Order: sequence, then C-alpha cells, then structure tokens
Amino acid sequence: MTVGAPVVVSGIGTVSAHGVGLDPLESALRAGMPTVQSVDKADGFHPTGSAEFASVIPGDVLKSLLPPRVARRMSPASRMAVGAAMQAVEHSALDVDQLEGPRTAVSLGTAFGTSTFTQNLLQQVAETGPESASPFYFMETVASAHAGQIALALKAKGPNVTVSQREASGLLAVCRGAELIATGAADRVLAGNVDEITPYVHSGLDLFQALARADGDLAERALPFDRRRSGFLAAEGATLLMLEREDLAKARGAAIYARVNSWARGNDPSASAADWGHDAEPLAHRLTERLHQLGAPANSIDRVVSGASGARRGDAMEAATLSAAFRGQAMPEVLAPKASTGEYGGAFLAAAVLSLKGGFWGTGDCAFEADPVFGIELSHGAAMEPVQRTLVTTLAAGGAAAWLVLDRA
Amino acid sequence: MAEPEVVVTGVGAVSPFGWGVDSLWNGLTSFETAICELELFDVTTQRTKVAGAVPDVPPRGLHSGWIAPAKTRVEQFAFGAVGDALAQANLTNHALESSSVGVFWGSSTGGMLEGEDEFLGSTGAGRRARLVRQPIGAAASALARQYRLRGAVETISSACCASTMSVEAAAMSIRSGEHDVVITGGADSLCRVTYSGFNSLRAVSEEAARPFRSERTGLSLGEGAGALVLESRTHAEQRGARILARLSGAASSCDAYHMTAPDPAGEGVLGAMDQAVNSASLQPNQVGAIIAHGTGTPHNDAAESAALARYFGDRASIPPVLAAKGAIGHLLGAAGGIEAVIAVLCLHHGQVPASVGHGELDPEASVPIGFEPGAHQALVYPSVLSINLAFGGANSALLFTALESR
Repeated sequence: MTVGAPVVVSGIGTVSAHGVGLDPLESALRAGMPTVQSVDKADGFHPTGSAEFASVIPGDVLKSLLPPRVARRMSPASRMAVGAAMQAVEHSALDVDQLEGPRTAVSLGTAFGTSTFTQNLLQQVAETGPESASPFYFMETVASAHAGQIALALKAKGPNVTVSQREASGLLAVCRGAELIATGAADRVLAGNVDEITPYVHSGLDLFQALARADGDLAERALPFDRRRSGFLAAEGATLLMLEREDLAKARGAAIYARVNSWARGNDPSASAADWGHDAEPLAHRLTERLHQLGAPANSIDRVVSGASGARRGDAMEAATLSAAFRGQAMPEVLAPKASTGEYGGAFLAAAVLSLKGGFWGTGDCAFEADPVFGIELSHGAAMEPVQRTLVTTLAAGGAAAWLVLDRA
Repeated sequence: MAEPEVVVTGVGAVSPFGWGVDSLWNGLTSFETAICELELFDVTTQRTKVAGAVPDVPPRGLHSGWIAPAKTRVEQFAFGAVGDALAQANLTNHALESSSVGVFWGSSTGGMLEGEDEFLGSTGAGRRARLVRQPIGAAASALARQYRLRGAVETISSACCASTMSVEAAAMSIRSGEHDVVITGGADSLCRVTYSGFNSLRAVSEEAARPFRSERTGLSLGEGAGALVLESRTHAEQRGARILARLSGAASSCDAYHMTAPDPAGEGVLGAMDQAVNSASLQPNQVGAIIAHGTGTPHNDAAESAALARYFGDRASIPPVLAAKGAIGHLLGAAGGIEAVIAVLCLHHGQVPASVGHGELDPEASVPIGFEPGAHQALVYPSVLSINLAFGGANSALLFTALESR
C-alpha cells in the first residue's frame, strides 16, 4: 500500500517493564538489556524446568498509569493501552480536546487479548457456576476492549480496529492505522500494540519451547540472530504511535519523529500453526516487489529494524528473507531490539521509530555471536549515524508478515 | 488512475440452518428460527438454555472435503464457508497460489471453545494441540496455509464488527492495488465465555430473540461463518468470473460512549452508514434494504432504529429491514460476514426475507421488518446496506449493489 495522504509519526507512548515513557526504553536499548522478573508459577501451569523469566510490568507501575477513577473498570491490558495512548497524546503536544470526534481513529494490535480477565471469568464459571460470571470481567474479555477504552478516554469517534495475528499484530495495526489516514478515513490514528503476559500465557509459550532458556553459563536471554539463541523473551506492555496527516502535523508545528513511507504484508504458507516456515524466497519476492511498486526499492533502505526475537526458526526465516531481499547488494545495517524489548508488548514499535536518529544500542551481557548460517551481523555495540530510511520487519508464527518503511522527517 | 472497483464473485456460509448458502437462504425465507436448546456444552445452570448452534458438525479428524484441515470448530466453519465461496468464484488452488491473494478475516473469540477445554482441566496430552489453535488469528493462518496464499493475512477482532471491518479492510487492499483477490468474512463458534458473559449482562433472551418487537428481552447467541471472495472488477472480468455484486461502500466509526451500550442517539452508526452510502455516490433513498444489526436487546434495537429514522428522514422512509438474528442468532465476530452474504443473496433473489419472531413491533423502535410468515419484501432498489454495532462502541457499514446499478 502506498501512502495517499502522507502520514507521519508525531508522538510515541510506551509502557513496559523498563518503565513508563521513552527514556527508560532508550536506556534499555543503550544497555542492550531486558528488564525481567521471575514468573509466578504458583498456579501450577508450568512444568518442571520451564523458562523462569518474563518482562512484566510491576503492579505499582501499572497502578500509577491512570487515576484510580479512570482505571477502576479496566483490565490490566486496558490500563496499559490507555496509559500509553495518553502518553502518545502528550508526546505529540496535542490536547485531548483536539482528538475528540470522528477524525480520530484507533488501530490496536494484540496477540492474546485480555488474558487476566478471561481467566478470571472462566474460573468463576468453573468454580461457582455461570450465574457468578462477572459482567465487569466479561466486557473486557473481548480483544477489542482495549481499543474501545482508548476511544472512550479520548472521545475518538473514528474507526476503531483491533488486529490479532500473533507476533505481527502490532505492526499490522500500525499499517492499518496508516492506511486509514492515507485513504481519508481519519486524520489521526493511535496505532500500536498491547499485550499482557500472565503465568498461563507464559506457560503456553513455554510448552512450545518458544521461550529462551538458560544453558550452562549462558543466562536466559533472547539472542536474535545469535548462534546460541534458544527462544524469545515474553514481554508485556503497550506502545501507541500517534499517526497524523503530515499537513496537519506541520500546520500545528508538531515535532515529527518519522514519516511513514509505505507498508506491505505477506504470508509464508509453509509455516505451521505453531511455528515459522522455511519458504523465504517467495516471501522476499513479495517484499521487494511491493517495495519497488511503492517507490521504496530495496536499494534505498539504509537500516533494517528486524523483528528477530531469538526464536530458533523465526530468526532463521527472517535472516533468509532479508538475505534474499537484499541479494546483490550490501546488507543494510541490521538492528534487533527484541533482545531488549522482548516479544509482544509493542516496545519494538517505539524502538523502530527511535532507530532513525541513530545513537548507540548495546549488546548487553552476552556478546553477539553471529549464526554463521545467516550471515547477519548486528549493528549493536557501535555508534550509529542517523539514517534516511528504515525497513521495519515482523514475521509471525503461523506465517503472517508485515513490513513498514519509515523515513526520517 | 481510478481506483479498482471491488466486486463479489463468491459467497459461502455455515449457519445454524446448516452448511451452505442454500441452507441459509431457505432457512431465512421459511419464517422458522434455527435457535433451539443448546447441547454443545452444559447449560443446565445457565439462566438461558437456547442458542443457534450449527447442526451436523462432523467430529474433527473424521471428515473429508474442504473442512478436512480444520482443527477447531471455528476453523471447520471457516473452511466450510470459504470452500463454498471459492468454488462459486471458480478459483482453483492453482489460481489462488499464483495470484496476489490475501485473507482479511474476522473473529471475536477464535478457538476459545477449545481453549476453555484446555483451561478447565484438560492438561497433559493434547494440551499443545489445543493451545496452538486457540489464537484469534489461527483460522486466517490456517486458510492461508491450506490455499498456499502469499498475500496479506490479517485477522480483525473488533467484537461484533470484526468481520464487517475485515470486509472493509479487504476492499481497501483491492482498491490500493495490493491484491487482486481477497478472501474475507469471518467465523466464530459458541463458547462458555460468551454464553456465560452475555448471560451475566442479562442480555440474552430465554427464547429465540425477537428483534424490534415490543416485548423483546435480549439476544440469542449463534455461531457459524460467512465468507466472500472479493476481486477487482478488472481481474474478475479478465478471467470470466460471474460477478454477484459490487461492494460499493464501506465505513466504520466508534461511539466512544460506553463499553457495552450503544449511543442511544445512534450517532456513530449513522455516521458509518452515511459514509458507506456517500462513498458509493448514492443517496439514502437509493438504498433498497437494510440488514440490521438487530440483536433483540432493548438498547441496541432502539438506538439502531433511531439512527435509521434519522438517516432516512423518518420511520416511514426506512427501506425494508431484515433482522436475521431472530432466525440464526448473533454470530458475534462472524455476524457481519454472514450478514454480508445475506445482503448479496437479497440482491440475487430481489427479495428481503421476513424477520422471524412473534409479537408486535415496538412503536419506539419501529422499522419495516416483514413480521409475518411469507411477508417477504421486494427489493425495489438493487442496493443493500448491512450494519453492525459492537462492544467498545465500534460501528461498521457495508453497501452492496447490483452490478448494473450505479
């Protein structure tokens, strides 16, 4: 999809285990370190020997996001989403009043929807019968509750969309948000991702051996494109980008953090329901063909912010796709922020926007050891110059793919 | 360059009336309801005991044909409806694999039914298999895998607007040139979370829902799938496809009023209708029929009828309305998909089925449903507007027109 009305990113709100706002996230990216907590296994969902850590938001931070009066009828995920949305509004220097009405839309991705309240409701039904089911829990069990709560908080009466496609949910939601502006359906869109990682969700991911494990002296770390990678780090949180029609943003003198050049979507049908596939050449062809059609050919890309997460097959598929897409030319710089942000929770989206300005992203406490099969070297650990154009990528288990091209404003 | 026109070349349905669009249409025109006592899971301690369940669902793994790859009930419905739609569109697997084909699918609960089985104690063997199919987007990925699709795969999960919005997104992707062909619609299966949850809201009727009637007491839940094959008109004509309808307009909005109750004034849904009709360059008096959201809850039907009365000038000017949920129940994330299929069927048959349900029309929520057996209404103008409202305040509208109308 090419952009009709030009779209820019004029604000970022993010809530993660690192903290609230961009500063803690940037610190984590500079250090190259995740923020993790031990997972509560008291409910007995986890088998012996399962992964120990997740990147979860401490309860006191969650409570501090919104005034109690506002938060009292929200699930944890809705609190994260609305908290991040309010930050994005503030960061964009817009007044809430300016967002009221049918020209403001919401496009939110979520891989898991509302985990806590769905579990609570099911437990009520199982233990004390359906008559005890709580309407309060139920109204937040729908995956679109978080987007609805954002709309309520901002009186945003434009399209209100929730996208759910595993790991691609957030980037697909940003693409959809940009599309809403480009096609004239909205002037501003709060677009991003929210997910919560409950012990149950964590145990489910662990069951598929999707999560990173400690190995001897090697800590339980997500190691994208690393030969020692064993899985990803499950992370919760919310990140919302304020997407805005460029002319409106410029007219109000807004700071512009990125211009959305174009976006593309695809699928690898060789992927199984639970994992990534292997058919990289057609996926790379889809990517390069779409980028070429949209005026952002592969040779114009300066940097790749990859969705590689440390997943064994996922990173292999990502590396093969990138190698095929950039065949015949030098591979652009590659960054893999999910070493710090983890998978899900949307902080990856904020990192992608931040990457345009360059700086320094660290390697953490595990020096990168490239997987020799991939031929991908990460640009972490060295000073990076600002770049003009970044390709943001995400491949999801099950086969879905999303790509976003961001230009420096 | 002009944007491509979006046309419908195939429809498919799995509904409480059975498998296939013929079962659906025959059921809708029979003035019977498919809502009956629910046996899918234990409802003995529930306040209500009825729903629109899909009949004759074969045991998973023991069936053949299009639905063979399905691993969950919702995937069975999705595969059934999509298989029918692709067959009608005369798109072979080879054509699907070699073209630019995407999937934009709607679902509210995905594989929740199987997830509940897993969560409520079925740990150990089989847990992995049940978990993997639980994600909301699993059916869309399964469809893309089955048909070897390399275009976009995106699931929209905006509650009762999920599949209406998926059709809107699909149309957008054709208009932008991203795809020539898109599989769209949605599927949902009944599950304990929604059955218990809607009961907890006291939003469910103890008998089959009676939309727009004075004594309506709530909705009836249902399950199934509605699927459409959308194409650019040029692509469809080049391959000699039979065009069933044009998708002439699509729009969505949000009330931002309340998480579960619609705006009583119906401002949001009115805006979505207006945009959908405007984008088709039609006037309200050129809308031939409405497929209403019509859940049968006091609040929904009142808000929706208020919006319709305002949009068409007065209640007397509202075109024929079908409230299908009295016959098939509320299919939640699949509601917009199956109602889009019904809209196309109304265009094909030139008729709007009477809306099943007993009792007098509510004068406060009066819309022209044919409310007696056999009182089907003629479609005077070949355009049908299908509307949905959802939790969280979302609204969406799709306008289908006959190919020759403009």
